[in-house]
Amino acid sequence: MDRLKLLTKRLREQDFRKQFAILFGGKMLGIATLLGLVKVGSTLLGGAASAAGLSSLQAATKAADIINPINTLWVLVTAFLVFFMQAGFMALEAGFARSRETVNVLLECVFDTCLCGLLYWAFGFAFQFGVGNWFIGHQYFFLQGAPLTYGSSGVAFLAFFLFQFAFADTASTVTSGAMVGRTGFKGDIMYSVMVSGFLYPIFGHWVWGPGGWLGGKIPHWMSNITGGVAFHDFAGSTVVHTVGGVIALMGAIVLGPRLGRKFKRDGGGPLPPHDLTIGALGAVILWFGWYGFNPGSTLSAMDFAGMGRVAANTTLAACAAGMVAVLVVYPRSKKWDLAMSCNGFLAGLVAITCPCYWVSPTGSVVIGAVAGVIVVFGVDLLEHLRIDDPIGAVPVHMICGIWGTLSLGLFASGSYGLPTPTGADTSATLKGVLYGGNWDIMKAQVIGSLACIILVGGAAFVIFKLIDMTGQLRVEPDGELQGLDLFEHGSAAYHMEFGQGMTYTTPAGGFPGGTLIGAVKKEEPVGGS
Amino acid sequence: MVHLITAVIKPHRLEDTKESLRKAEILGLTVSEVQGFGRQGGKTEVFRGSEYKIEFVPKVKLEVLVNSEDVERVIDLIVESARTGKIGDGKVWSAPVDHLLRVRTGESGIDAL
Repeated sequence: MDRLKLLTKRLREQDFRKQFAILFGGKMLGIATLLGLVKVGSTLLGGAASAAGLSSLQAATKAADIINPINTLWVLVTAFLVFFMQAGFMALEAGFARSRETVNVLLECVFDTCLCGLLYWAFGFAFQFGVGNWFIGHQYFFLQGAPLTYGSSGVAFLAFFLFQFAFADTASTVTSGAMVGRTGFKGDIMYSVMVSGFLYPIFGHWVWGPGGWLGGKIPHWMSNITGGVAFHDFAGSTVVHTVGGVIALMGAIVLGPRLGRKFKRDGGGPLPPHDLTIGALGAVILWFGWYGFNPGSTLSAMDFAGMGRVAANTTLAACAAGMVAVLVVYPRSKKWDLAMSCNGFLAGLVAITCPCYWVSPTGSVVIGAVAGVIVVFGVDLLEHLRIDDPIGAVPVHMICGIWGTLSLGLFASGSYGLPTPTGADTSATLKGVLYGGNWDIMKAQVIGSLACIILVGGAAFVIFKLIDMTGQLRVEPDGELQGLDLFEHGSAAYHMEFGQGMTYTTPAGGFPGGTLIGAVKKEEPVGGS
Repeated sequence: MVHLITAVIKPHRLEDTKESLRKAEILGLTVSEVQGFGRQGGKTEVFRGSEYKIEFVPKVKLEVLVNSEDVERVIDLIVESARTGKIGDGKVWSAPVDHLLRVRTGESGIDAL
């Protein structure tokens, strides 16, 4: 009774009431939290335990909820890697060009990328991946009417778009490499529109688009020749590289060589590169970007064995080609040639791009090694034909693209079919001649390569001739001698700065007196006689 | 007697000039990249939309040591091959040289050419 009295007495005191409320409230809150946690935990556990009891439809939905995001993540990561190849192209092309055309090369890559992105959004993607006929797609113009995922790929539509844009951009940048140093910028814009808006997407539709005549629903005449085998190009030896390379070749032919370029059989040789450091760095960045180009083309992270195989094959082909190219040129000059090694491993990468999914690591080494030999003789061939290709785009991308495409017919190991969103599908495998298969794959590959060279090459030649007629394709001789950087862009890439030598001015003519070096007072100090 | 011929020319004329001197059996020359201004003045460049003036234009300087009898012939050759007819083609001048020694052998004068 005393304690009760004490309590009632204390409850009348304000301080005690406050303390009591805090303690009591806190305890109640703690108990409520604990109860809540138990409740949530039991729901989670219960949910997991009863998942097996879901209907198969619900289970499939659950699986897609996990598989589609992971596949999309893989496609996005590799799309970013492919995009980074632009940095590689910029550095490689700038480094292998002369210093007077550096700004031009860099802006071409930047401008082409922006242009390609917008064209691909407007109609490039629609031509390539929209449903249409055997020749061209016509769906998703301006990305309208896009579903959540593209086709049956299970990859988010816009992630798929981004990945394919990065490819289109690569094809259009390959082209500029053979045309460095003499192409006018307006001419560059004109042919870039044709390449990334029409030539690449339409050829891409033939091979990768729904219902395309080379890789999808093949026509009867082709089916009769190949025994029903369609043209196969896993990541684009033909679709990206031979297309880019053959357009580059046509551009270089229509343009003609740079002024002052003498060929070997006329007693000259290639014009020297201005910065091998940046050139070689760019080549290795391209190699790195290829880890998006090839492994990303599975479009599926569920085919994990395929992803690993493609990445390893890509590496091995590059290694073999880079080494073989150096060893092939060594006996000529008794010198270890950095630039040829870079061209070499790029050639190996281009070659393995088509067969990378279907061949074994050993096959990849052989494919790369052969590419390393081919690229050297490809450079010689262009030199002999008096075609000026400053970067080596034609031997690397066109010639080794053709070799890589054909190599599938020889080296397909017969163990691999196609990647699907849920894993590898080995129900229909590809087996090349060297593994005991027949010549059907090789026939299909020859048809695809010929279609690319003849149709894309022919169209490109006509387009370049038409642009040439407008007078915009090649800059005037004065501009070319002065250098495209100053002539087209009004800016040099490298400035020798004397501190006071450069001032911002608006009026033309005359020197602001204060900016001259003090001792110079005469009118003509340079050679003043 | 030996003369030193110095020429400041447009960079893209160097190749032709060198070739014509080589054909005339001039056995050596020294080249350097230089910058300067003459009547051509500077040149205007653009960077992020604004124009700025580069006060000094890049040129190539050639230095050739020749037998004094050949001075006029060589100057003519240089002028002929370096000329474009447009402003900024440069200058050529010569001056007598007091001493000339070949470092390796110690030969002097015309023998050292």
